[in-house]
Parts: sequence; structure tokens; C-alpha cells
Amino acid sequence: MTKSYDFDVLVIGAGPGGYHAAIRAAQLGLKVACAERESVGGVCLNVGCIPTKALLHAGEQVAAARHAADFGLTFSGQTLDIAKLNGWKDGIVKKLTGGVGALFKANKVTHLQGQASFVDDHTVQVGDKTYTAANFIIATGSEPAKLPGLDVDQQVIVDSTGALVMPDPVPARMLCVGGGVIGFEFAHVYTNMGAQVKVIEFLPTIIPGADADAVKAFQKSMEKQGIKIATQTKANRAEKKADGVHVELEDVKTGAKTTEVFDRVLVAVGRRPRTDGLNAQAAGVTVTDRGFIPADKKQRTNVSHIYSIGDVASNPMLAHKAMKEGLVAAEVIAGKPAEQDAVAIPGVVYTSPELAWVGLTEQEARDKGYEVKTGNFPFSASGRAMTLQQTDGFVKMVVEKDTDLLLGVHIVGPHASDMLGEAGLALEMAATATDIALTIHAHPTLGESVLEAAEAVHKQAIHIMNR
Amino acid sequence: GRTIIPAAPSVRRLARELHVDIQTVHGTGIAGRISEEDVRRTLAGA
Repeated sequence: MTKSYDFDVLVIGAGPGGYHAAIRAAQLGLKVACAERESVGGVCLNVGCIPTKALLHAGEQVAAARHAADFGLTFSGQTLDIAKLNGWKDGIVKKLTGGVGALFKANKVTHLQGQASFVDDHTVQVGDKTYTAANFIIATGSEPAKLPGLDVDQQVIVDSTGALVMPDPVPARMLCVGGGVIGFEFAHVYTNMGAQVKVIEFLPTIIPGADADAVKAFQKSMEKQGIKIATQTKANRAEKKADGVHVELEDVKTGAKTTEVFDRVLVAVGRRPRTDGLNAQAAGVTVTDRGFIPADKKQRTNVSHIYSIGDVASNPMLAHKAMKEGLVAAEVIAGKPAEQDAVAIPGVVYTSPELAWVGLTEQEARDKGYEVKTGNFPFSASGRAMTLQQTDGFVKMVVEKDTDLLLGVHIVGPHASDMLGEAGLALEMAATATDIALTIHAHPTLGESVLEAAEAVHKQAIHIMNR
Repeated sequence: GRTIIPAAPSVRRLARELHVDIQTVHGTGIAGRISEEDVRRTLAGA
């Protein structure tokens, strides 16, 4: 690598993808800088995964306090201090973003504060300085998509960033526009905090990309907990009035319009890649009409020394995908044989129960030409789930019929996200359902349900009748 | 058609290191699983 550049690698963006790329590149002996115009840690740490999970945990504790009456624990005079809740959440964010900064220092990654803008294919401007680099990694992320007619003011009409600040008092009536992961996580938070929440989704089903049976069980549980769900429904416009936000809703099948009043409206209709200010054209980097900067399996853009990772590169827009792609880009630059070759990228909705999946859905597997068999194990038959008061949901396993090769695992249930690690490893290692069934799982644990689902594939589960 | 390559991540990386296209490797294990040996055998042209 030529020594005439300021850096071997300059990473643009310090979100999950960017900081993974910067740290791995530094570990491999490269001279690295990472430019960030906002806060280190990006969306995930600052206004995404982490603060949402903090609120979800708090909401679950509120709900758990209610359910504790089942075994005789009752509270009196309990209060929820909203200011303290927001402060606690912000403290976690601060600790983690500070941690990323410390990791930069420890790995000798130069942190450049400011918007990085390409001058040419080896030069960027950050603030009033220019820096040259042999390679660039674009990790500029994404931002909430807007919806015409619903102008986000971050007070009463909010996007996911505004929704992270719990108002005091908790809104009585809340509308979540968009029945995807973000919409349902906030619906769950606000429901547990005492709001009456309605979720509307334009498409016929919620949580696109998830297995149909899993979505059905998930929806049933969400409705049981009081969340109203309307599919094939859209929000045309919202008007702020003294008594709340008047939202015109339309049934997209019949065209029937109704107006409902809410105290808070969340717009969560997807995210779009963010390339504003980057001036990618100065480097000759292709940006698609939808704003993506596409990359190949080695995360290279059309300009071979410029890489693109995470949300700005492609869907799905998930932190762990960005992290992996950051590592791949850094390793490719360092001359390693890396490639984004993951068999599966897990997806999780962190509600209670969680909805989590990895690999192919039953339908996807059939569409790809696999002959499949499936096995289900319900948490209602799990001793551990009973002791946790969380028996909604199941583990569903999708397997290739002739070879018994695992194709996908879909879980609705408590701690589904943590059970996904085993399923992901099994998929990557090309495990068969038999391999999983022959693995001793600790008893009593929720993870045993994965073993039992594998047994159910062979109609030999022990704790349920096999049909 | 089938899209999942039945090989562990480390085996897939070995194939890249040796410039062997994993798609061309015949897996001799259960469910057509590809081992390190299968990759090396393909490299040797055996």
C-alpha cells in the first residue's frame, strides 16, 4: 500500500458498521481514521437498538409487576418517574457511545468530527480540512422514511427518534403508522406504559419477511395484550387540534375513510439510505435512485478502493449485518479472503414475546424449490416458560425433507432473540435437525424448545403429541 | 433451486483462500456437507 496517503483507510460514519470496520482495520495493522458528523455509535447506539431495548425492558418490568399478582406479589403506591426513566435510558446510551470512543483510542483510530464529503476518489473534506486515503469505507447509514400528510414535529407526531423520549404523562391514545419491527416495538413499549395503542399497516400482513405462522402467533399475542392492529390500512393526513391529532385513516381495500383522534402518532414506515453531504459523485461512486450505494460480496462499490457497508449498502437494515459487512470490508482491504457469505441474517422484534427468525421461512424455502418438512414446539408445553409466566408462542423449524438439512428457525416466545444464536450457528455449520435433536440442551431452559422442535420434525418430540 | 451451501464458515473461507469456487465442490458429508478435505480435493483436481 502506498505511503503517500494520510490514511490507509478512512471510514465515513461511526455507526455499528463504521466502528467495526475501523477497529478491525486497525487490528490488522492499518492506519485508520473514522469520520462522524453526529455522535459516535450511530443510529443503533444513539437513537436505535439500544435506547429502544432500554424502554422495552422498562415496559416489561411494568407489565411484570402486574403479572406478579399471579404468584401473590402485589404492590401499592408504585409510581413510574418518567424523567428518571428517560435519564436512565440516556445514561446507557452515553456509557456505550463513550465505550466506542475509548475503543477508538485504544486501537489508535483517528476520530474526525464532522461531515465527510468527497473531493475526489482519494480525498475527503471534513470540516475545513482535507484528508487523503488509499481506501474509503462508506458507512453513512439510514434515516426514517417520511410519509406525506404526516409532518414529524418530534412532539406529537414523531419518528423513531422522537418516540424514544417518553412524554409525561404517557399518552393515552397512540397510533403507530407501520406494522414493521419498529412500529411494534414502540407499540409494545407504550402499551406497557399504559397507552391504548393502535398499529396500522398498509400491507395485508405485519412484520414483512417473517414466517406466516410465526406472524400469526405474534399478532395473536400482541392483540391479547391490548394492541389494536389494522392491516391494509393507511394514514392519509394528520391535523393537530386542541383535543389531539386527528388522523384520517383509509381502508385500502374498500376506500372507506374514518378519522380517529390520538395523543401521539409514530411514523415508522421504513428507513431510507442516507448519502446527503457525501458528494459521492466526486469520487465516481454509483448511488441508485433509491439512495443506496450498492456493493459486491467483498463490499466494494463500482470504485474498487471505495467500499460500502450497512444500511447505505443494502437491505435488510440491521446492526449485526452492518457489523459483519464492516469486518468484511476491513479484512478485504487488509488482503484477507473475507466475503459477506452469511447463510442467514437473523431478524428480531424485541417485544414480549419476541419474534425472532433466522434462515428461510417455510414459504421462501418452497419458493426456492426445496421440499420441506417442519416441526413445531409450543412454549405452552415448556416447563421453563411456565415458570417465567410466558407461554405464548412456539419454535418452528423448517428442514429440507430428504437431507434433514436445517433451512430456517422461527421463534415466537420469551428470549427468542437469545435462542437464535444456536439456530444461526446450526445454519452456518450446515446442521441437520438430527444434529440439533442429538445435542443435549440443559433442562429446564427455553432453549430446549429448539431441541424439541427438531424432534417434532421427526415426529418424536417428548413433551407434546406428535401429529 | 437450493441456495444454501452446506459448508461451515471456516471451510468457506478456506475455499476463498485457495481460490476454489465453493459452488463447484462436491460435498461428501451428510446432507452433502463440504469438508476442508473436499475443498482440498477439488483444488488438487481429484
